[in-house]
Amino acid sequence: MAEQKVELFARRLDRGVQQAVHSNSAAGTEKRYTVLGTDYSAPDDLRRLAGQIRQHAIEHLDTYLEQAEQSLKRQGAHVHYAVTAEDACRAVSDILQKAGAKKVVKSKSMISEEIHLNDHLGSVGIESVETDLGEYIIQIDGDHPSHIVKPIIHKNRRDIAKSFEREGLGDYNDDPETITRRARVFMRDKYLQADAGITGANFVSAETGRLVLVTNEGNSRFCLAAPKIHIALVGIEKVIPSDAELAVLLNLLGRSATGQQLTVYTEFINGPARTDRPSGPQEMHVIFVDNERSQILASDCREILRCIRCGACLNVCPVYRQASGHAYRSVYPGPVGAVLSPLLAGKNFKQLADLPKASSLCGACNEVCPVDIPIPDLLLKLRNRGHEEHAPSPGTPPMGAFAKLASSPMLWRFAMKSNKVMNLVPLEKLPLPYLQPWLKTRTLPEWRGGEFRSWMKDRRKK
Amino acid sequence: MTHSPSRPNGRTVQLMATCLCDAFFDDVAKATVEVLEHAGCEVEFPENQTCCGQPAFNCGDWPASREVMRHTTRVFEGDKPVIVPSGSCAAMLFHGAPLEFEKEKDLPTVQKLANRTWELADFLVNGLGIEKWPGRFPARIAFHRACHTRGTGSGEAALKLLQSIDGLEVIPFGEAEQCCGFGGTFSVSFPHVSSSMGCLKLEHMTASNPDFIVSGDMSCLMHLGGLADRGGQPVKTLHFVQILQSALHRHG
Amino acid sequence: MSTAREQIFSSVRAALAPLPERTARPVFSKDVAEPHWLAAEADSLALFQKRAEATGTKCFTDMESCAAWLRSQGVRTVYIPAPLTRLAALCSEFSEVTSEYTRARVNEIDAAFTPAAGAIAESGSIILSDESTPDRLAALAPWHHIALVSRAEIHRTIADALAAMPDDPNLIWVTGPSKTADVEGILIQGVHGPGAQACLIL
Repeated sequence: MAEQKVELFARRLDRGVQQAVHSNSAAGTEKRYTVLGTDYSAPDDLRRLAGQIRQHAIEHLDTYLEQAEQSLKRQGAHVHYAVTAEDACRAVSDILQKAGAKKVVKSKSMISEEIHLNDHLGSVGIESVETDLGEYIIQIDGDHPSHIVKPIIHKNRRDIAKSFEREGLGDYNDDPETITRRARVFMRDKYLQADAGITGANFVSAETGRLVLVTNEGNSRFCLAAPKIHIALVGIEKVIPSDAELAVLLNLLGRSATGQQLTVYTEFINGPARTDRPSGPQEMHVIFVDNERSQILASDCREILRCIRCGACLNVCPVYRQASGHAYRSVYPGPVGAVLSPLLAGKNFKQLADLPKASSLCGACNEVCPVDIPIPDLLLKLRNRGHEEHAPSPGTPPMGAFAKLASSPMLWRFAMKSNKVMNLVPLEKLPLPYLQPWLKTRTLPEWRGGEFRSWMKDRRKK
Repeated sequence: MTHSPSRPNGRTVQLMATCLCDAFFDDVAKATVEVLEHAGCEVEFPENQTCCGQPAFNCGDWPASREVMRHTTRVFEGDKPVIVPSGSCAAMLFHGAPLEFEKEKDLPTVQKLANRTWELADFLVNGLGIEKWPGRFPARIAFHRACHTRGTGSGEAALKLLQSIDGLEVIPFGEAEQCCGFGGTFSVSFPHVSSSMGCLKLEHMTASNPDFIVSGDMSCLMHLGGLADRGGQPVKTLHFVQILQSALHRHG
Repeated sequence: MSTAREQIFSSVRAALAPLPERTARPVFSKDVAEPHWLAAEADSLALFQKRAEATGTKCFTDMESCAAWLRSQGVRTVYIPAPLTRLAALCSEFSEVTSEYTRARVNEIDAAFTPAAGAIAESGSIILSDESTPDRLAALAPWHHIALVSRAEIHRTIADALAAMPDDPNLIWVTGPSKTADVEGILIQGVHGPGAQACLIL
């Protein structure tokens, strides 16, 4: 029988990688739980409030996006729009080429992964260097991030030391501190030579046009300290009403992502350098990217647009912990990815329609989500859509016969009793394709169909 | 997952035994009847009941699931509380069904059933107001809060009753929030991932050698028990209602 | 052909038009996300010091001890911008004290003093603005950064700081030294920014 792709990937995954992903994710879950528990008596109330804030924002995106654009322009930023991933890539290279820029430094941004920006810039002869330590290692290895917040959760220090040696960053040394220092020295020159810095944005305040960026390493700050051009790639859903909402959202983002009250650097960008404040980039460009988001907004899964990319749902997810991020064959892994990736695939939905099935629907993702996204409900809706569109789903039993049986009480009672025959045959030998995967690692209890019903009948007679 | 705030809590109740108890775990269904009767309830068992439709719902075949759910709404007509000794089947009635009927004309019928549905422990504690359970059950148990009761009062309710039983000790274990790996048809379409999750759960739950592994959901227990059995290290599993029933028997 | 902007706005409007109702903007009090332990902290200065130390920012209240710490760290070259020359007088023992910060010397300056635009007690964060810290690199590139925080400019909460954000092209809240846990989840300080973050409260 054909196998689910996530299952196949997980089954073949190196045990060491799986254990690293598991322990790192479990530690993340624990830290988040501790910090929220220490700081708040009712963290769930706060999560629900944050969920309402984000839901309100996306349901008023028409208003807030326009307001954000005006505020950004007022502050002196150039505002661009990109409908597709290709449009977004082209918008970036157009700005760079117009300015004669040849070298850029990039701060970690999921949307730049989503649109495959580095490949595009490479193809037009622009050097683009990822500056986040994890993302840089991903880049030199030609790899893909396997976690939203911890991109190299699947790599160990020996892998990294080998990559650094190969790239000429010194002799083999797998001490994490040495690795970090070498990256520090290497990046310094890159920052100082770069013509432009590219970042994402965690939030954009419609009222003030402030673009908010959070990092721990300080690389985004460097991207905005040395180069003369700043380009921010922003998904249209990142807009929030005003700065006041940040009190709720920032307090939940850091705690959910890394167990920190706030990340080390929380940056509020409000336009390019001014004559009396000349330190920052002289040009600021904000590119609002749709790339299927408006279609998601039109769907009954629009709640996923609340997501603030904290990665808490990945950390807590038992399937992610077994399968790791690459099993999801897309930029966004884990529970959020299982919803977002097939939706972002647009017309190619069916190619990723298996992802929503890779879940036991345990609901832990919803329980930790800082914006209370009902992820299990969305997974179920997408399973229904996959069924409607006849997306292939190996290993999923057809349900027509079950529905007939479970809607006919006489048939049901007969089946309950007659199935007792199962106790007499070696189940492992039965040619039942949906029973064998169960029996390989599990036994079934004795069939006792009808026993309770007759007990209940006797009891009534007494 | 949240529940309707005002559910009926009368003492004449309808039991939805669930298909797993119908097929495998008659002792759990019997215990449920005895425990409810001890709590002063008259238990009705609508004979035509089958399944909550969850397998088809989880597979994405919502039309098939709705067919089953429509049958279920007819079987459980009326205003009495509907009691389910399974977190996941109860959640199917009060949460899953309204979701799959969101765009259907008969949503109100389904919602009405949803608003009458109680998971067993939730009903005993939050419906009937029982705070303490009589009797004695000298054992150390590891209690798995079944995933489908997240966000409801069920997990805490079951724990409250268990912890009030004389001689019973509930022991903590690691990664308590984690799933047992069952997930319905997930267990057969993702057998490796599902079994790995289950083995990890077993490892945590058996770490301090409990006498029993306990939950409010037979599906979790069937999975964990089946894994342990196949792995050659069988564990004893009990639905919490079986403990409530045994405690009563030892009460005299 | 319509522009990308028009296309996006028309898809967004089309997506939202069928909604029977839209989620209202939640009303919440400014203190809604304050940690519950905050109420017991009467003194904002003491709270700032406590939170700053907890997140890895060293706090000094006099220049002498700050200079002594820098010396113990092996600091030789110190940048002190012109408005702070009175502090430079206390730094005579370093091999070089300069008020010039240029790109050519980015890797030569061991420690930099820059004035902060404020601080946040709740989180122990230092606030830098382009007005207060005219050179972003100076506060970022040296291994040691010491922000000068005025007692009068310590905001009690994150919400207070958000409500009082000045008009500036850039504000940054710095909460501890630059750090990463990318390699096997092991915490390493000093990735791109300062490996040692301090503040001098005046």
